[in-house]
Amino acid sequence: MTGFLVRRIFQALIVLWVMSFVTYGLLALMPGDPIDLMLAGDPNVTSADVARLRALHGLDRPFLERYGDWLAGALNGDLGYSRLFGAPVLDVLAPRLLNSLLLMGLAFLVAVSIALPASVAAARRPGSLTDRLINLLCFAGISVPAFWLALLIILLFAVTLGLFPASGMATIGDGGFDDRAAHLVLPVITLAVASLAQYTRHGRAAMIEVLREDYIRTARAKGVTERAILWRHGFRNALIPVITIMALDFGALFSGALIVETMFAYLGMGKTIYDAVMGNDYNLALVGLLLATAITLAANIAADIAYTLIDPRIRLTGRRPA
Amino acid sequence: MSMATIHAVQRRSPFARLRRNGSATASLVLLAGLLLACFSAPLTGAAVGIDATSIDLFNIAAAPSADHPLGTDEIGRDLLMRLLEGGRVSLTVGLAAALSATVIGTLIGLLAGYRGGIADAVLMRLADGVISLPLLPLLIVLAAIDPVKIGLPSELVHSESFSLYRIVIIIALVGWTTTARLVRGTVLSLRERDFIEAARAQGLPPSRILLRHLLPNAASPILVAMTLTIGNVILFESVLSFLGLGIQPPIPSWGNMLTGAQDLISVAPMLAVWPGLLIFAAVIAFNFLGDGLQDALDPRALSQHGR
Amino acid sequence: MRRSARVLTFWLLLFLSALSLARPADAREQLVIGITQFPTTLNPMIDSMLVKTYVLGMAQRQMTIFGHDWEPICLWCTELPTFENTRAKRFPVLNPAGKETGREGVRTTYTIKPGAIWGDGTPITTDDVRFSWEVGRHPETGVADANSYQEILDIEVEDDRTFTIVRDKIDYRYNTLGDFQLLPVHLERDAFANPREYKNRTLYKTAPGTPGLYNGPYRVTEVNEGAYIVLTRNEHWQGREPVFERIVVKTIEKTAALEANLLSGSIDYIAGEAGLTLDQALGFEKRHGDTFDVIYKPGLIYEHIEFNLDNPVLADIKMRRALLHAIDRKAISDKLFAGNQPVAHGAVNPLDWAYHDKLPLYPYDPSRAKALLEEAGWTEIKNGVRHKPDGTKLSLEIMTTAGNRIRELVEQVLQNYWKKVGVEVTIRNEPARVFFGETVQKRKFPAMAMFAWLSAPESLPKTTLYSTAIPTEANNWSGQNVTGYSSPEMDGLIDAIEIELDREKRRALWAEQQTLYSTDLPVLPLYFRSDAYILPKWLKGLRPTGHKYSSTYWVEQWRDGSSASQ
Repeated sequence: MTGFLVRRIFQALIVLWVMSFVTYGLLALMPGDPIDLMLAGDPNVTSADVARLRALHGLDRPFLERYGDWLAGALNGDLGYSRLFGAPVLDVLAPRLLNSLLLMGLAFLVAVSIALPASVAAARRPGSLTDRLINLLCFAGISVPAFWLALLIILLFAVTLGLFPASGMATIGDGGFDDRAAHLVLPVITLAVASLAQYTRHGRAAMIEVLREDYIRTARAKGVTERAILWRHGFRNALIPVITIMALDFGALFSGALIVETMFAYLGMGKTIYDAVMGNDYNLALVGLLLATAITLAANIAADIAYTLIDPRIRLTGRRPA
Repeated sequence: MSMATIHAVQRRSPFARLRRNGSATASLVLLAGLLLACFSAPLTGAAVGIDATSIDLFNIAAAPSADHPLGTDEIGRDLLMRLLEGGRVSLTVGLAAALSATVIGTLIGLLAGYRGGIADAVLMRLADGVISLPLLPLLIVLAAIDPVKIGLPSELVHSESFSLYRIVIIIALVGWTTTARLVRGTVLSLRERDFIEAARAQGLPPSRILLRHLLPNAASPILVAMTLTIGNVILFESVLSFLGLGIQPPIPSWGNMLTGAQDLISVAPMLAVWPGLLIFAAVIAFNFLGDGLQDALDPRALSQHGR
Repeated sequence: MRRSARVLTFWLLLFLSALSLARPADAREQLVIGITQFPTTLNPMIDSMLVKTYVLGMAQRQMTIFGHDWEPICLWCTELPTFENTRAKRFPVLNPAGKETGREGVRTTYTIKPGAIWGDGTPITTDDVRFSWEVGRHPETGVADANSYQEILDIEVEDDRTFTIVRDKIDYRYNTLGDFQLLPVHLERDAFANPREYKNRTLYKTAPGTPGLYNGPYRVTEVNEGAYIVLTRNEHWQGREPVFERIVVKTIEKTAALEANLLSGSIDYIAGEAGLTLDQALGFEKRHGDTFDVIYKPGLIYEHIEFNLDNPVLADIKMRRALLHAIDRKAISDKLFAGNQPVAHGAVNPLDWAYHDKLPLYPYDPSRAKALLEEAGWTEIKNGVRHKPDGTKLSLEIMTTAGNRIRELVEQVLQNYWKKVGVEVTIRNEPARVFFGETVQKRKFPAMAMFAWLSAPESLPKTTLYSTAIPTEANNWSGQNVTGYSSPEMDGLIDAIEIELDREKRRALWAEQQTLYSTDLPVLPLYFRSDAYILPKWLKGLRPTGHKYSSTYWVEQWRDGSSASQ
């Protein structure tokens, strides 16, 4: 177990290192630079200003040199300054990372806590009305563009019904628990929808698969209650593929978070990375992407550990059960 | 999957099973209708004398009328024609991107499954990596790079339709993983079978074994994965459009129409409702169809539905 | 599927039907303003950014700005120097050897107003002025527009409140301080110890809630990076007391979400300076005109299309005139913007005193356009597109910033107009970053580039029209004359305007300059952009300016009208 963890973490670090190089390279391939953008539209700026600012921000040096500097700094714990925010990258990212994790964690919980019972309900009698209805809703959930859903949710719950705040993280000057919670409701719902539908579909398929196994038939024949069959025998065994999907889907949750954060003016990682890329803030974009990657990799490792907790028969060998 | 069942599937026409699946059939009909309408749009438009680009500043965001069945958009273009035109683009991008992703995925899957060993390990780790990464932020970087800097000819980059190719390429680059895994799985399960051994013993070249014997057996999962991918691509294009990285105007797509109309949601809601609905309808139809195909092509599906 | 459609329709109907929102009628201590951008820094010198000026207008004011009538006014000085009040004096410029060079310089004396105090009670003194100059002209500070500081030769200090600016040239802007920003030396001195690090270590960034950083009616008390800025009444402010105890400036990037926030009551007011697009505002007014006031203010944002004059097709003046005659800018303005964006006939705004009203005009006249095209040699029409007799096709490319919906729409409308006279125009847009960073600055657009200049009142087009301001590889792509316009006559007029101090004489020169501009048409003028301010009915006293010194510089005049009327 420890050996496995060490190996997985080592692999993850390699992936991160490769990512850092590739991303830095891709960022260098982006046209224009932040100075041009900053000065766009202001006719008073002279070329001397541009050259001066470019040198000041270190943009006049070649890519490899800058990457080398960055890597050396990063290994010494200095991840550099964000140009857009004028603050150390970690200072910018740390609170946003927490915000994102909160948002994603809650959305994940909501999705799981609805998806699991729903998939069991659907799988109990495949083809039944319940099953078809759940199926339809799932398909609807994965087919609706996230930003469109966000807009509809804002219009319905915030503007028309006035139930929840339309955006932001907290009422300024309040920021109490209730207030923060109220601000989280709509973003969490929006983000949960797609994952919820995805998990339910996979959960249902896994359940159906498991319920067809011989041992379930045996259990039924032995007169085990339907409830026990569904939950103790079926559900537990169906969890493994579902967890795989959830771990893999963590990256997608990040993508969804980007949209949700934009629509709800929620300060999270996704939006920050997007702004950093669009604003040519190399340091911020890079570290943000690496953090996001690190988190999804961590989710994958966590899933591997979860398998053993659910099913002690699985031993960690570095291979995910297919 | 044994050979016997595979042949059984092929004998019990999958189409017959698909037809019995109500939602899949409905989806197929809907998609066929959409495709037909969108791709014949230039012809029908020419026939009735409306095209998607003619602007009428004196008839902005007009209500539906005889001339304009769905009304006009924010600069007075016929909304129906724009939607059909946009549909043509969105569906083309969806098909093209899904097809390229599938081709790449199939090749990688065949290679990994047939070769095994290091090639397999490397390719599958790569697939794992791509699947587990936070894709959207990465795609934003990909969508923002300057193609001239990686040596693409600037005439190509500067053409109006470059944003279209860009999306197709980006999706192909990251969308191959599912297909690759499916194909690899099939190849692995078939590799040691007698008929492959026999083919190998006969001295058939690997390429022939791969294409003639292994690929056809992987066809059904590939088809299913591709159908589902098309839907995802259409959805994905709308998200990229929302971020300003999708298909660029003046080329209409459902994604950029929806994004543009979003700002005017309270002024002219129908401008947003229609592309939104079409995206939703097309994506859900592709999903239902893919699901139906899966059931129809997979012999075990019958028991799944208990029918 | 049908169910989902029904649900969707249901929501939309709900939304459409229930849009009148009652507002609580409690005493308003707080005003929440919505804007679409967040300032990258609050340091007044670093990065020039519209939203930063917007926020700092309430909290951090400089010596001189432009007023509502677009004339320079004093904020922290007692009066503007003139030759009449003897605060301005000419002097002969000497060369290093001490000989006269024949040029004249100017010394202008300012006195800081009594009652000018930083938010921690420290008076604003000439030490602050000298320190600000030191920071501003330092090459490593990161000041975007260093010109205002670098053109100053020396600042002579008379006493705590009086100082004299020495410049080695006189131009018509001699008596304003331009963008000269004030920094509190008692707080910022330490951060400036290492100038290269100043932009990161300034207290405006590290501790933006420090009261002494501000001198306006409000001071910043809380900054939540990317989300909002809270401003609280500055207890040391000596001027008229502002009405609201607190002002919150909240950033919501997506305009659709911004609008939803206004309707749901989480913000009170959408700033015109960085708010809804004009067509959104027009739609909004139609629906909610009874609960909100919408003010439209045309300003100094000049939307235009720059030609690449190196393109042989566009080098022909007939071609440029034909392109302008072929488009109906009036109809665009009327139909898309309900007439709120006045058609531009040149680069100078009609609200500017220097505007000349007898310019050559180019009304919508397709037949004139066609005639001009014929004259220019584009005589043969194949498939609706004009060709030269030698077979050259008349095809031009237009570019603008991708994602700017209004520009993209206007582009397509123009394309359609030009198609009607046989000019094929293709559209290719790029993200702002690429478009401004590469394409425009390095003159890589093959034919036309559509964007806007933001300028100050009576702003001299020295960097945009002067022949030496054409960006080239050799001059390190400096200057902003991206059309490549080069006219000795224009250069001469710009020089003459710059040194002419007499206003009436300058007016004549401006008239000549504008006439030349409209005759030569190096760029194709479209319209002056308008900002739309969406105010709740109870918010009174807000007056847009139309230039870069935003309405917030007069924030102490904003009132809550409901408490007065009820």
